[in-house]
Amino acid sequence: MQQFSANIFSNSKISNCFYEMVFSWKPNTIPLPGQFVTIRAEPNTSPLLRRPFALSGFYESKKRCSIIYQKRGPVTTLLAGKSPDEQIDIIGPLGNPFPIPGKKNKAILIAGGTGIGPVVFLCSRLKNLNLEYISIFGAKTKSSIPDNQFIKQNFVICTDDGSAGYKGTTTDYLKSISNLMTSDTILFACGPQPMLKSCNDFACSHKLPCYVSVEQIMACGVGACMGCAIKITKEPGFARACKEGPVFKSTEIDWN
Amino acid sequence: MNLTVNIGNGIFHNPVCVASGTFGYGSEYESLIDLNKLGAIFTKAVTLEPRTGNEIPRIIETPSGILNSIGLANVGVKRFVQEKISFLEKLPCATVVNVAGSTENEYIEVIKNLENCKSIWGYEINVSCPNVKHGGLAFGTNPFQIENLTKLLRQATPKPLIIKLTPNVTDITTIAKAAQDGGADAVSCINTLIGMVIDTQKKVTVLPMKTGGLSGPAIRPVGVALTYKVSRAVSIPVIGIGGIMDADDAIQYLLAGASAIQVGTGNFVDPSMAVNVLEGIKKYSERENINSINEFHSFIQ
Ligand SMILES: Cc1cc2nc3c(=O)[nH]c(=O)nc-3n(C[C@H](O)[C@H](O)[C@H](O)COP(=O)(O)OP(=O)(O)OC[C@H]3O[C@@H](n4cnc5c(N)ncnc54)[C@H](O)[C@@H]3O)c2cc1C
Ligand SMILES: Cc1cc2nc3c(=O)[nH]c(=O)nc-3n(C[C@H](O)[C@H](O)[C@H](O)COP(=O)(O)O)c2cc1C
Ligand code: FES
Repeated sequence: MQQFSANIFSNSKISNCFYEMVFSWKPNTIPLPGQFVTIRAEPNTSPLLRRPFALSGFYESKKRCSIIYQKRGPVTTLLAGKSPDEQIDIIGPLGNPFPIPGKKNKAILIAGGTGIGPVVFLCSRLKNLNLEYISIFGAKTKSSIPDNQFIKQNFVICTDDGSAGYKGTTTDYLKSISNLMTSDTILFACGPQPMLKSCNDFACSHKLPCYVSVEQIMACGVGACMGCAIKITKEPGFARACKEGPVFKSTEIDWN
Repeated sequence: MNLTVNIGNGIFHNPVCVASGTFGYGSEYESLIDLNKLGAIFTKAVTLEPRTGNEIPRIIETPSGILNSIGLANVGVKRFVQEKISFLEKLPCATVVNVAGSTENEYIEVIKNLENCKSIWGYEINVSCPNVKHGGLAFGTNPFQIENLTKLLRQATPKPLIIKLTPNVTDITTIAKAAQDGGADAVSCINTLIGMVIDTQKKVTVLPMKTGGLSGPAIRPVGVALTYKVSRAVSIPVIGIGGIMDADDAIQYLLAGASAIQVGTGNFVDPSMAVNVLEGIKKYSERENINSINEFHSFIQ
């Protein structure tokens, strides 16, 4: 992990709610799918805390990284107002990545809402490694779907209102392809808590391993404050999303 | 400029420290800043038994501050000695262990378990936890209990003993004096202020424990004022804490009467903050021709 001032290369609106920002990557460590960075958008005291964002891609030859974020509050509003060549304060890479499946595995990737970024990163990694995968992205409606070639080409789109792709949630779609599950299938999911819970339920009922990336409010992002605790089934009952996570085996999480 | 700070029989190389609970056990920040530049690291609170901490969420941002309800989550003194000390031992800066407990005996036992660790510079006593023996009110709110606890701890260790004051009292100076009378070598001023945030849509408090501790720039004027008051009420050194985000903030504390300062919430916002604060204090002292920390105290009456 390193703190650095990143130069913004591009920052564009890619749907009615999502933005994609590409910025320079200075650390020598190569970031992996599932890892995140914390960003301080402005040196202000309000908003105060850095905010965590999962990486959505790494372009090694150019040493650039990207995030896909949703404008929903003060920091993401500041981010959305940034122009190319402005600087942002980044700390990363943080947290544990998704495990990469083996050649015989079939990966099923499920993204909902702001969970799209890390799943896009994982999907592009699996594609480069020529591994087998099915990627699913769930959105409310057609206009929320990012205008991104990679997502359009590699993801099955689900919308709640049926205005694009499959009508229903990602879990509805998952259930509709139950017949494709084999003992070599592994699920990977990132998105809202209820979606992650249904992925875990689905995985348990089909006896499949499932990895989820959780989102929890963070203060330090580096394991120092114990603020980002999530409930787990093992002792001592809590784990730090920023340090032991954000990727967990879904059965390790206490979903109640 | 002589940056050293004397507290009891101990010395900090410089007055810039990091506050308990905001810097883990030091190792978390190793790759982000040069820890050698810190005056002291105040560890996360250490209790006799491990504590898992409070229900979630534990943190919420407020205007220029944060409200936290971590619940003293920590590994407990035994694992602290086994797992955390070896890293802190290697650092040239002082390690001050923040000690918490809910009975006098718990505080004493924690210190007994730590007394053999030569690398521990001293102790900061967190008296803001509920005192289970005395109806759950914090130790830190009663001068008699403070004096008694300080006396007991004084007998348990010759190392520097710092009592950390809570601002959630009517008159902080009586508590500070009680600590001094009990034999404390310094007081830290201040711990977090009690705060509450309510979600008006759901009509519930955002923190499951209802209230939390407010920290960050929002509390800085309170910290500076209480540092000013306390430093006039006692003759032992005062360590100023609360909302320090840059050198100017820290200098306010020094001018108010603090002999050292701690950066807390600021570490979350920018891990290099403490190091930048130190550089800024050096520059300011040079420009203003100030040659020692004590000289800062001569300006404001
Ligand atoms: C490991 C991790 C990875 C993340 N990756 C992404 C990402 O790739 N893209 C993205 O858009 N967002 C991501 N988030 C969530 C992101 O941190 C929040 O969107 C951001 O903090 C919002 O900041 P804000 O100041 O704009 O809004 P705020 O006012 O801080 O928050 C707006 C709303 O979002 C909720 N929220 C805030 N922080 C979090 C959080 N950390 N987790 C869950 N909900 C939160 C708040 O409760 C509030 O309802 C991630 C969070 C974590 C922990
Ligand atoms: C997340 C968090 C955890 C804290 N944990 C402790 C603790 O364990 N013991 C203690 O004495 N103070 C603790 N504090 C209080 C700080 O050490 C400090 O007194 C307070 O935050 C005010 O300083 P600041 O405004 O610079 O953060 C904690 C503060 C925060 C924000
Ligand atoms: S955010 Fe501080 S421990 Fe995870």
